[in-house]
Amino acid sequence: MSPLSRLSSRAKSLGRNLFSKSGVEHDLDEELRAYTDLLAAEKMRAGMSAEDARRAALVELGGLERVKDDVREVRSGALLETTLLDVRYAVRTLIRRPAFTVVAVIAVALGIGATTAIFSVVNGVLLRPLPYTDPDALVAVLHDTRDPVAPANYLDWKRQNTVFSTMGAAQYWSGNVSGDAPERVQGLQVTSDVLAMTGVRPLIGRLLRPEDDAPSGELPVVLSWGYWQRRFAGRRDVLGQQLLVDGTSYTVVGVMPRGFDFPMFWATGVQMWAPLALGERASSRQGQSLRIFARLAPGTSLGAARAQMATITANLEKAFPGTNRDVTVTPLDTMVVGNVRSALLVLLGAVGFVLLIACANVAHMLLARATARHREMTVRLALGASRGRLLRQLLTESVVLAFVGGAIGVMLARGGLQALVALAGNSVPRAAGISLDPWVLAFTVVVSLLTGLGFGLLPALRVSRSEMSEALRDGARGSTESGKRGRVRSVLVGSEIALALMLLTGAGLAIRSFVALRAIDPGFDPHGVLSAEISLKGTAEAAPGSRLTFYTTALERVRQLPGVESASLINHVPIAGDIWGLQFIVDGRPRPQPGDVPRAAYRSVFPGYFQTMRLPILRGRDVTEADRLGAPMVVVVNDFLARRYWPNEDAIGKRIALDPGTGQPQWMTVVGVVKNGVQTDWASPASEEVFLPYLQDRQYLESDGGHVAYMTLVARASCPTSSRCNPAALAPAVRDVIGSLDRAVPVTGVQTMDDVVSGANARPRFTLVLLATFAAVALVLAAVGIYGVISYAVSRRTHEIGVRMALGATPRNVVRLIIGQGMRVVMAGVVAGLIGALLVTRLMTNVVYGVRVTDPLTYGAVALLLTVVALLASYIPARRATRIDPLTSMRSD
Amino acid sequence: MTDTRTNLLQGTLDLLILKSLALGELHGLGVARRVEQITRGTFQVKPGSLFPSLHRMEEAGWLNASWGTSENNRRAKYYRLTAAGRRQLDAETGEWKRIAVAIAYALQAT
Repeated sequence: MSPLSRLSSRAKSLGRNLFSKSGVEHDLDEELRAYTDLLAAEKMRAGMSAEDARRAALVELGGLERVKDDVREVRSGALLETTLLDVRYAVRTLIRRPAFTVVAVIAVALGIGATTAIFSVVNGVLLRPLPYTDPDALVAVLHDTRDPVAPANYLDWKRQNTVFSTMGAAQYWSGNVSGDAPERVQGLQVTSDVLAMTGVRPLIGRLLRPEDDAPSGELPVVLSWGYWQRRFAGRRDVLGQQLLVDGTSYTVVGVMPRGFDFPMFWATGVQMWAPLALGERASSRQGQSLRIFARLAPGTSLGAARAQMATITANLEKAFPGTNRDVTVTPLDTMVVGNVRSALLVLLGAVGFVLLIACANVAHMLLARATARHREMTVRLALGASRGRLLRQLLTESVVLAFVGGAIGVMLARGGLQALVALAGNSVPRAAGISLDPWVLAFTVVVSLLTGLGFGLLPALRVSRSEMSEALRDGARGSTESGKRGRVRSVLVGSEIALALMLLTGAGLAIRSFVALRAIDPGFDPHGVLSAEISLKGTAEAAPGSRLTFYTTALERVRQLPGVESASLINHVPIAGDIWGLQFIVDGRPRPQPGDVPRAAYRSVFPGYFQTMRLPILRGRDVTEADRLGAPMVVVVNDFLARRYWPNEDAIGKRIALDPGTGQPQWMTVVGVVKNGVQTDWASPASEEVFLPYLQDRQYLESDGGHVAYMTLVARASCPTSSRCNPAALAPAVRDVIGSLDRAVPVTGVQTMDDVVSGANARPRFTLVLLATFAAVALVLAAVGIYGVISYAVSRRTHEIGVRMALGATPRNVVRLIIGQGMRVVMAGVVAGLIGALLVTRLMTNVVYGVRVTDPLTYGAVALLLTVVALLASYIPARRATRIDPLTSMRSD
Repeated sequence: MTDTRTNLLQGTLDLLILKSLALGELHGLGVARRVEQITRGTFQVKPGSLFPSLHRMEEAGWLNASWGTSENNRRAKYYRLTAAGRRQLDAETGEWKRIAVAIAYALQAT
């Protein structure tokens, strides 16, 4: 027989076996029946009675099931076939017990749904490679991981290194684009290497070219897909069109594909890229404004790159002290997801616990059922089914259960994912790419399978191993539970409690962190304040002289708006705004070495800023209208700076100078000390901060160029009560005021300070809400588990309890007996859980704030909570036990 | 020969079944009885090994099965050798003879 025809013969019978399944089964039945009949007939001919002959024939057949099984085994697709058979049987069994099935499916669906949702976040954020060519070779070269770099340093690094195939610089850029509706557009100025190193090709047109790095004549600009759609309605003829940004004309040369974003950890949502011309700044080692990106040369390791950069910067540091410290080479991928990784992994672990608890729950539901199905299994064993077959069938049943739960779980995850992404807000990078992609679905299938095997294996082993004699003796009921099975059940519930306790501890720590974060005093009172950026770039008001007039008039009018209690202007509002650090020196102290000069956050304010923000002035005064050019130079400092440089002295009247350089310091006298306020990061400790009067800040008043032609308006709404405060309602009026002064001036970044603060806490809130949700689900599942086990025990001990009560036990004794039994398990679980929590919460060290991961209060509280819930869960069935009527219970046997 | 029955090598059983069908079609019990007959009662084929073997060889394309009526008017499944089955019988017969001769030599050797 040729292999080919053999194959076709196999294929034919495989088709027959699978597609006419019932026919084949039916044939087999009939064939075996015919065999038995013929055998019996033979025996009758030999003189047996009809009945004896029939019995003898059946005995000789030796187990109908076994023969059928053996035949099935040799048929093509036997495994598939018996599996299909088992699946059909499992579905029937599950449908026959709807209550059990629904509860089990819900538990599994919750577990798998939550796991799927969190895994899709982990997959979208951590596992998916960055959408660039060979993303692992991309690095960011910055000071101290994230701080920008001075142009001259960048140029030296680029020249001297041999470890990078390309290195480029990017600088934040935002400009007012003129048109019917003036708007502020976020952009980046980049060297041509930056876009090129991503390996992403433009959708239409071209990227920036090396010759654009020293542009002569026309300035090119590359647009994002979104901006192209919005401003040019996606028209192809956009190439070659002019875009007027801050009064300078740019020619559109290309459009990036949809979703393009680089470098993702900074300057996200950029809408246009233009050449970066360093000009005279090329020799500066002071103005640190560039972000440097590079691609490792082929075959170069990160370690080698770091080693060479260390050498280069050490040499430069020797030549130019204080300019090349702490230069770090960090993989781009670490920059993007670095700080969210631990939070996501904690959540993934937490959700895994929920799934384990759900599994344990379903497992002991199955165990309870196993007892009920004992007879079914015994009968099948007696009919000759092998234990292996029974095991396989029982496992099929639990896997079917798991898959149904998994399917519903995926639907839950789909819904939950949107809420999750919304909750994550900007606190999770790459959130837009989170979806239930094929990887996630594959993960869910595997998890469902493992879940089904996980919770099914123990009960199935138990059932299929059941002793025939024992089972037949047992009868349907009335037996006390065998000690071994009871122990398994207790271990399951104990583990559930332990897992739930660990989750609750995690959630407790998250709650404590969140409370601690909320308790941080930002210094100012964000409630009731609206902030909006007003940029004059590229407008007629941008000239140094006009700026002051414009802002003074605008502020004047905003202050007169109804509903405005007070208003002021600041260059960069805390948290939401940029932050500029400036070096300063203190009068009367020796000048520090270059590189050791202290820095302070630098703010330029109009009078009334502290009042509007309700940032208390501790000593001295606010800046006033009188602090203008020509008047003595003054400054307001924060309490931190005052205490640090003039400890035990009054800072008022002391002098500092900003940006000293090497020349004659411009001394400014401290006239006020304000409370420490949050600067950029919500939870960062206080550091030096200085407030200059805008009216005598030469940088803001007199500099040419766009980089100072903007201010942020803060307006406090007058609120009848604190709960009826709606500063957002001021926004239209503010826009009208600005529009009435100059229609070309855009008002952007309009948001309430409440929203700003809330955004700053988005990630801890995300972690908290998820952990708390998981912990709540775990608590409910564990309570259901305890309840189930205790009520099962009560039902098995009805007889015993009846006897006890007949002998004079009071209901109190009975309750104590039942609860006592439950509590032993609970206590063991609590102790194991506390130990486990001590071990696993160490992973949360990077996630918590203001609380230690070993916080005894949290541990005590969750242990108490869990114990109380467990007490309640076992009290209900215990109460029921007291209502047992001794007479009925004994008669029932 | 209880041991022989249980230890009957699968290949041997297949060969005996093929041989029993060489003369014409038979139903399951017929096969069992025919094997008993041609081996002079040495081999008694139990249904537990008979049916899996029949079905396996049907799968392999060596046997054809069809429903017919038995001697006592009972619907029964009859097996018949296919051309491939005949070739298989020839091949296995030749193989078996070679082995038998070889083993006979081996046992005669002193």
